[in-house]
Amino acid sequence: MHCQNFRPASLTRRDMLQQSACGFGAVALSALLAENSGAKTADYNPTNPLAPKKPHYAPKAKNIIFLYMDGGPSQVDTFDYKPLLKKFNGQDPRKAIGKLEPTQFDNIGKVMQSPWTFKQHGESGAWVSDLFPHIAGVADDLTFIKSMTSKFPEHTAANYFLHTGSGLQGRPSMGAWVGYGLGTENQNLPGFVVLNGGLIPPGGLDNFNSGYLPAAYQGSVFNPGNTPVANIKPAGSNPELQRRKLDLMRQLDLSAKERFAGEEQIESAILNYETAFRMQAAVPDLMDLTGESDTVKKMYGLESDFNQTKTFGRQCLLARRLVERGVRFIELTCPGGNGDRWDQHNNLVDGHGKNCKTVDQPIAALITDLKKLGLLDETLVIWTGEFGRTPFAQGGNGRDHNPFGFTTWMAGGGVKPGISYGHTDDWGYKAIENKVEIHDLHATMLHLLGIDHTKSTFRFSSRDMRLTDVHGHILKDILA
Amino acid sequence: MSFSAKILLAISLLYSGTFSFASAEEFAPEHLDFFEKKIRPALSEHCYKCHSATSKKLKASLYLDTRSGHLTGGDTGPAIVPGDPEKSLLIEVIRYKDTDMEMPPKSKLPDAVIADFETWVKNGAAWPEEKGPANESNSNSFDLEKRKAEHWCWKPIAPAPRKPGFIDQLIEEKLKDSKLRPAPHAEPVTLLRRLTFDLTGLPPTLEEIETFKKAAAANPDAAIKSAVDRLLASPHFGERWGRHWLDLMRYAESHGHEFDYPIHNAHQYRDYVIRALNADVPYDKFVAEHIAGDLLPKARLNPENQTNESIIATGFWYLGEAVHSPTDVRKDEADRIDNMVDTFSKSFLGLSVACARCHDHKFDAISIADYYALTGFLQSTRRNEYRQDPGKKIAAAISEIEKIAATGNQNLSVKHADPEPIKSQKLLFPNTSRWFPSGHAFGDSYIPALSWIPVKDSITRHAVYDSGRYGEKQQGTLRTPTFEITDDRVNLYVKGTGQVRLIIDGYFMEVFNGLLFKGTRKNIKTGNKWQWITLAGKDIAQKSGQKAYLEIIDSGPGSIAVKAVCTDHQVPRIEDTLPPNPRAKEIADQLAGKLSGLSGEARKISEAIPNPSATILSVTEGTPENDYVHIRGSHKNLGKEVPRRFLTALGGEKISPPKNASGRLELAEQVVSRDNPLTARVAANRIWHHLFGRGIVPTVDDFGPMGIPPSHPKLLDTLAAALIEGNWSQKELIRTIVLSQTYRQSATPHPDLSPNFLADTDPENILLHKAPVRRLQAEAIRDSMLAISGRLDPKLYGNSVPVHLTSFMQGRGRPRSGPLDGAGRRSIYTSIRRNFLPPMMLAFDMPSPFSSVARRTVSNVPAQALTLMNDPFVVSEAKRWANSTATIKDDKTRIETMFLQAFARPPSPTESKTTLSWIQSHPSKETAWQDVAHSLWNTKEFIFLN
Repeated sequence: MHCQNFRPASLTRRDMLQQSACGFGAVALSALLAENSGAKTADYNPTNPLAPKKPHYAPKAKNIIFLYMDGGPSQVDTFDYKPLLKKFNGQDPRKAIGKLEPTQFDNIGKVMQSPWTFKQHGESGAWVSDLFPHIAGVADDLTFIKSMTSKFPEHTAANYFLHTGSGLQGRPSMGAWVGYGLGTENQNLPGFVVLNGGLIPPGGLDNFNSGYLPAAYQGSVFNPGNTPVANIKPAGSNPELQRRKLDLMRQLDLSAKERFAGEEQIESAILNYETAFRMQAAVPDLMDLTGESDTVKKMYGLESDFNQTKTFGRQCLLARRLVERGVRFIELTCPGGNGDRWDQHNNLVDGHGKNCKTVDQPIAALITDLKKLGLLDETLVIWTGEFGRTPFAQGGNGRDHNPFGFTTWMAGGGVKPGISYGHTDDWGYKAIENKVEIHDLHATMLHLLGIDHTKSTFRFSSRDMRLTDVHGHILKDILA
Repeated sequence: MSFSAKILLAISLLYSGTFSFASAEEFAPEHLDFFEKKIRPALSEHCYKCHSATSKKLKASLYLDTRSGHLTGGDTGPAIVPGDPEKSLLIEVIRYKDTDMEMPPKSKLPDAVIADFETWVKNGAAWPEEKGPANESNSNSFDLEKRKAEHWCWKPIAPAPRKPGFIDQLIEEKLKDSKLRPAPHAEPVTLLRRLTFDLTGLPPTLEEIETFKKAAAANPDAAIKSAVDRLLASPHFGERWGRHWLDLMRYAESHGHEFDYPIHNAHQYRDYVIRALNADVPYDKFVAEHIAGDLLPKARLNPENQTNESIIATGFWYLGEAVHSPTDVRKDEADRIDNMVDTFSKSFLGLSVACARCHDHKFDAISIADYYALTGFLQSTRRNEYRQDPGKKIAAAISEIEKIAATGNQNLSVKHADPEPIKSQKLLFPNTSRWFPSGHAFGDSYIPALSWIPVKDSITRHAVYDSGRYGEKQQGTLRTPTFEITDDRVNLYVKGTGQVRLIIDGYFMEVFNGLLFKGTRKNIKTGNKWQWITLAGKDIAQKSGQKAYLEIIDSGPGSIAVKAVCTDHQVPRIEDTLPPNPRAKEIADQLAGKLSGLSGEARKISEAIPNPSATILSVTEGTPENDYVHIRGSHKNLGKEVPRRFLTALGGEKISPPKNASGRLELAEQVVSRDNPLTARVAANRIWHHLFGRGIVPTVDDFGPMGIPPSHPKLLDTLAAALIEGNWSQKELIRTIVLSQTYRQSATPHPDLSPNFLADTDPENILLHKAPVRRLQAEAIRDSMLAISGRLDPKLYGNSVPVHLTSFMQGRGRPRSGPLDGAGRRSIYTSIRRNFLPPMMLAFDMPSPFSSVARRTVSNVPAQALTLMNDPFVVSEAKRWANSTATIKDDKTRIETMFLQAFARPPSPTESKTTLSWIQSHPSKETAWQDVAHSLWNTKEFIFLN
């Protein structure tokens, strides 16, 4: 047997009950999981996979808020200022730039200057276009990576890659890896929450799945509206009736336990109901914003006249509330209603205009609020798309996908504020200095949470799998 | 290796011959000085971390700390060609022109440094004579034979004598060694519940319980035997065990990815599996059908309508994910084939061959060459939509027409003679290369020149493929040999009505979304005129150098004929390509009118042929080709060619595939050969796993060194031998196992064994000192509810019921929603769309179908409790169940009935009392029974087997 670390027999029933009682979810004891799916990590606890675990070393951040800009925002229209585009505006990019990589839609137009104006902001002098007036105001809190790259020029593979470190479907999402590495502090809420603004990215829910990791780590999608989590609302209108049903169930379970000779699986399944029952209360409490002040709500844009800003503002506010409740990994997806996400193959001005309006104020509010509450130091905020966009037009007024160089920014927990790392060539086309791979982003995220990405492994298909596969370097230069 | 890489290698070999023995004096001092000042420091700063004797981990087997290192190069060939910067890979990569290889990887060097390297190479790459640092040997320590000798799974099957009771004897031997003893027999009804779920995935009905109880009271052994016979013969057996198999086959009905496009008619494969298991098709045959069902000398026929069953199995190869717009279509193909090899090797062999895609297997006796030996089979295989021939009516008619053709052709004064076609690599003719017709329309082969076609009463002028040769009704697809795209277009010389598709590197998703593949498909309608049709466009031009073939499709009224394909930009004059054949006219004139009677007969037969049936996903042969080792898994970095063959460790090198076939048939034969110890072991172990919740080898899909060795090796081998010698009957093996005393044990250990002793000796019940407690699988939980509520529609087979969508199931390609109760059908008939999997199934661990899964996880998460407490399906079925028992007027009897339905046992007096008083104090008479039903389904006993 591979793993001598786990011997269920060494748990007394009392230990077991105690552990399970805190368990958000418990994998059945007799599951072969721990024993032969490998679980080489010494502290993997199959009874309670989400019990808080010790990191490999002292963490700089406790939580991550991942602001996912689905579709690929344009770096050259937001944060990566390239004056050369203006000079060569309207020219053939094959002459101006030289050899071009194949693009997704292969409809290469002219070099296209940004329709927006760039200015430097704050003490750091960060370049931000006037698409982001609010974010420009917190520019000194941000750490820009201007040399991010991806391996895939197509949404779905790029989404899987960004989320799971592999371009193929079905691998565990980064949030699942975080849960696997650290467990979760709040046992009444999932450790990995996706606040769905309305747009599930291409590739679907598999972007948030646990893949070959135990199901306990999969992302829980919280929808807007009254029933954020599937089946969280007690069936029937009367909560008292549910309690009654559970009472009967419990009595029958007691007698059935004998028939199963005190089998631990049965005990764990019984305790699972307690957790589920508590979750039924914890989720509505999370979603209830009546306790938030008007000032706060206004700051997040909940009173905006633009509906999408309201939606995203609510997501950002919920993200802060989740951080306060000890949820490790929170991902936000984009609200619908702005056309095709950030994917402006045409009508760049309209599409990016709306998308920026949607996220600008809420994100700035989130940074400001976290800072004010002293939470920014322990929360890593990440803003990124799955790739960027070409500095030349696709057809007339849009931009195609560009995985060769784009901008990601981070803020808070453990990163140096007010700096810009790496850069693209003069066109904003390809990263040429301090190129960063998605694997590096993952390695750095895990590092900041106190996880060594080379040591957080799970055995599947006879391999010790990692979020970073065989890649990944920690971006030491951006660490605080 | 690409052409340019070959040239590079050749040139560098030439040069290295000149330079590598050069002594220091031959370099001008200023060049050496330049090296020391500019180059060595730059190398040291930017390259040595990964490419020197001091590297912690050498990358790409490339040393840049010696001159010979530069000249020999690494995995991708020499780094420099002294004197020629333009041909030097080192220069190419530091220029950052090709995003596939940019060095140093993180940042581009300053332009001045790049210029220095160019100068250095141009001047001959001066390097002083010096003793190079001691390079650590990078030679591979991979020793396949040694690994094979050291690991148990490669050894021949060594069974114990198979006397009755051999299972119990082998289990008890190990129990005795640990001072354990088997548990007593389980209660008869407990055993019945266990058996019914294990064999059919459903709970026993009230009548079945009653009958069994009576029979067991009289003669328990006979009662059990007859119950097992009944359950093995039940059509629900195939549904239960079929679902196990579908997990292995990563079965789904859509391709996943961005838009989740459908896999049309995938359910035919699902039905094939259920039928095959119900018919107890021998496992070796079942496996062979999967690998090469299209090639078996004798296909298995559906007993009802005589259609080809064997070929349906081959659809499994193509049940994986697929991408609609890959920017790198060769990589896309490599990924798809990787998924096929992975599914193949895990399911049939219990091996993780896909681990050898990038390098020799880290632990197992599987080399990277073994991997690419297998991918070659799939490179030589094509996706096909097969058309069935119910009742063999089409085949019979065609054979009649062929007889008439033979008679008619006897009247011809000259024998078939194809004029010598012009020779050109860019021209393909039916009679000069092997084309691949599928379906009935095009026949089995081309029609030679100067043949009489009965239904047309005409004479062919050149060799031709014609889908109208047996009349217009027939459908079919003709595929050309594989060729290389060399230009921006492909042309065909055709006549008639149909469609043509250019299939590049196996990419087939264009029918859904042709982004990046524009121009690869065209509808053809030339009337009665022969003409060149051209597929063209920049999407084709961009794929220059890729491999492709054409599909000429007749899928509707009319017919299409083809005589030539030209892959050149410029189409040659047809007079030169297919010169007129004067004899044809001569013969036609001679025959005029003479054969009209025969022709009329043929037409009559043709018109009576039934219309074609739906297509079936399957595979077919293509132009045979070997694959090349992809160095570090990259298709852009090819190593040696590997002949198609089975794994070396299983004797693959001894048999070479025939030259004119993919070799899949031979592969199938080797997989199921008695010399291969794995296939039977893996299958027997999997059956054991499904019956005990744990395999004898618990890593059911991994028998390699990374798996866990068998707990009872002798037993495993004896079961494997029993499977083989029982004519590979899975049902017989299942029968043997479930009739054993081991299976019949209670879940409560023998009373003489203390819990503490057990906790120390056999805490995980690996030695089987009692029956394991197992949670029901997702499908069994849902199907139970339907069966108990009375909603279950026991219908077998057919189109899938669309999955019921909740508001949480969002994303592109969202299908239409199905009914909440899934039309009462068993869960195996709910559609499996990769991006919209049924949430209740997922909550209870149905695997996501991305890779072969032999062993589901058994998790315990709040989503399960929330589903059972609050899911509308559960609530509404509980209500239906309560209503169905309303006719029972006595409350106590009603409670007893419900307990029997849910748990196959009556309530204890306490349980009965508790439930009764609970009902009596219930605030709502209306919902009291419904709430009881709901509570019963929430008890753990409902979802666990003891």
